[in-house]
Amino acid sequence: MVLIGESIHIISKDVNDAVKERNPKVIQDLAKAQTDAKADYIDLNLGPAKRDPEEVTQWLVNTIQGVTDLPISVDTLNPVAMEAGLKVCKKRPLLNSASGRTDSKELMLPLAKKYNTNVVISVLTDKGCPPDIDSRIESIMETIALANELGIPNEDIWVDPIILPVSADQKQVADAVEFIGMLGDLMPGVKSTVGLSNVSNGTPEQLRGILNRTYMIMLGRRGLYSAIADVLDEELVKLNKGELPKIVDLIYKTMDGEAIKMASLPQKEQDYVKTTRVLMGETLYSHAWLES
Amino acid sequence: MEYKAPLETYSGKVAEVVIGKGEKAMKIGGESVLPLHLFEGTIQNRPRLALEVFDIEPQGWSEWELKPYKDVVSDPVAWAKKCLELGADLVCLRLVSADPAGKNAPADKAASVVKQVASTIKSPLIVYGSGDGTKDIEVLAKVAEACAGENLLLGPLAKENYEPISKAALDHGHCIIAQSPLDINLEKELNVKLLKSFPRERIVIDPLSSALGYGMEYSFTITERTKHIGVMFGDNTMQMPIIADLGSECARTKQAKENEKQGLLWESITALSLLLAGANILVLRLPESLKLMKEVIEGKI
Repeated sequence: MVLIGESIHIISKDVNDAVKERNPKVIQDLAKAQTDAKADYIDLNLGPAKRDPEEVTQWLVNTIQGVTDLPISVDTLNPVAMEAGLKVCKKRPLLNSASGRTDSKELMLPLAKKYNTNVVISVLTDKGCPPDIDSRIESIMETIALANELGIPNEDIWVDPIILPVSADQKQVADAVEFIGMLGDLMPGVKSTVGLSNVSNGTPEQLRGILNRTYMIMLGRRGLYSAIADVLDEELVKLNKGELPKIVDLIYKTMDGEAIKMASLPQKEQDYVKTTRVLMGETLYSHAWLES
Repeated sequence: MEYKAPLETYSGKVAEVVIGKGEKAMKIGGESVLPLHLFEGTIQNRPRLALEVFDIEPQGWSEWELKPYKDVVSDPVAWAKKCLELGADLVCLRLVSADPAGKNAPADKAASVVKQVASTIKSPLIVYGSGDGTKDIEVLAKVAEACAGENLLLGPLAKENYEPISKAALDHGHCIIAQSPLDINLEKELNVKLLKSFPRERIVIDPLSSALGYGMEYSFTITERTKHIGVMFGDNTMQMPIIADLGSECARTKQAKENEKQGLLWESITALSLLLAGANILVLRLPESLKLMKEVIEGKI
């Protein structure tokens, strides 16, 4: 799976301060650390980028490109910032993201064609996040048809089903796995991506990793192409590289409903089984899901 | 060919909790079917109806609320007896006096009232503390100690104070009420934590009961889902009986404060709804709605 390192995020106080002071060190350290951790892309999350969008975005893109050769995922909802960022990307970037929202279709999607980028298209619409699988499919097929008309081929489109926190909506978490599994048949050639860490938003900090990692394997099994993820989580990167086959196998078996002898498993493996069951919607989530 | 209605069988069973001791002992829960699904199996223990008693004379009650209790409101023991005369299965004693925002009476004093009531009445006793999470650690521990062996149903225990209170309840032989703020995930979390040191057969869940028009649908959904998860899906961390403590909540509404008819409707409709959702104990204030619920449960209306 293609991993997009998520650490350069404007919500992070360190990053925000660094941007205000135009201090490259924090940004470059994060870019280097994620490059060393074998990320495939560096995500640059600018949020709404309200102040000096063009100047700030270009400074950030150039700052990152000063220390890494990795391509950048320019992550903002502001089309002005987006265009400024895409202009200065040296490697073919990922436009992150367009959606089924009217403003996005009009202002964001054409930029993907203009700058020949890969483009994330989410299932969001003017009404928000579609409530079930069918309406997600309806939304994404419509937006992809429009993208195709603009001349963007399926191969450049990375569909984002929008991941919600498991602590808020367990059903949607399980639905997204199914949705990813259906994509290939419905829209041959399209790729996919998710904001992986969203699944563990709202979960106590020290327990977030195992949710992220388990969910990555579950989605990957159904064909997920890429994830915006915490690549500084070593176990996540190892799992992704296939270096922990036993755990992957255990997650698959749990997904298939095979009987698992919990008592004979080490604690860590038991935790993966429990987490898979929670993410499948088989057991009710609580912050104490590993304790029962 | 004779038509046979398809029937579900379920994998889970609600724990049967016994409260009270000796002849007073009463079984709560224990069903392995969904609420009132009498066509799918037996419900050995019908839902129980409690009336509430305050440990001090209540303030701000309407005249019509006070009417059935007017001679006994200053005497918790007499009040509790009155509740049973009025048809309640059991009594719910609220330690209002201990509330730090009110009279802030010492824990010892509240505990001695509980002891008097518990040793006098001929039904099991539910005890709700002051409602202040910190003060209740002391209050409920004292109550547990003073009434050792009475097998009270004590609460509420929340995420913040469950450890000391559950220990006191365990040491002195009582059941407990696990309360969470209208959130099924937090409800489960508290259950999981409690189950590490406390037996399932002595826990009752209070998901918080909101009144009609004030969020009752949340209480309904959480009660209903708790039963689904426990009975249909067999999640043994969710297989405890449920208490719907709704009388006071209904009495606080604008509608109940306006007049008697609305007050009765508010409590009865809330009670009926939460009964259908799966509550195993209803805590009521009005003898009239108690009568109605009894008729519903007995299949008379």
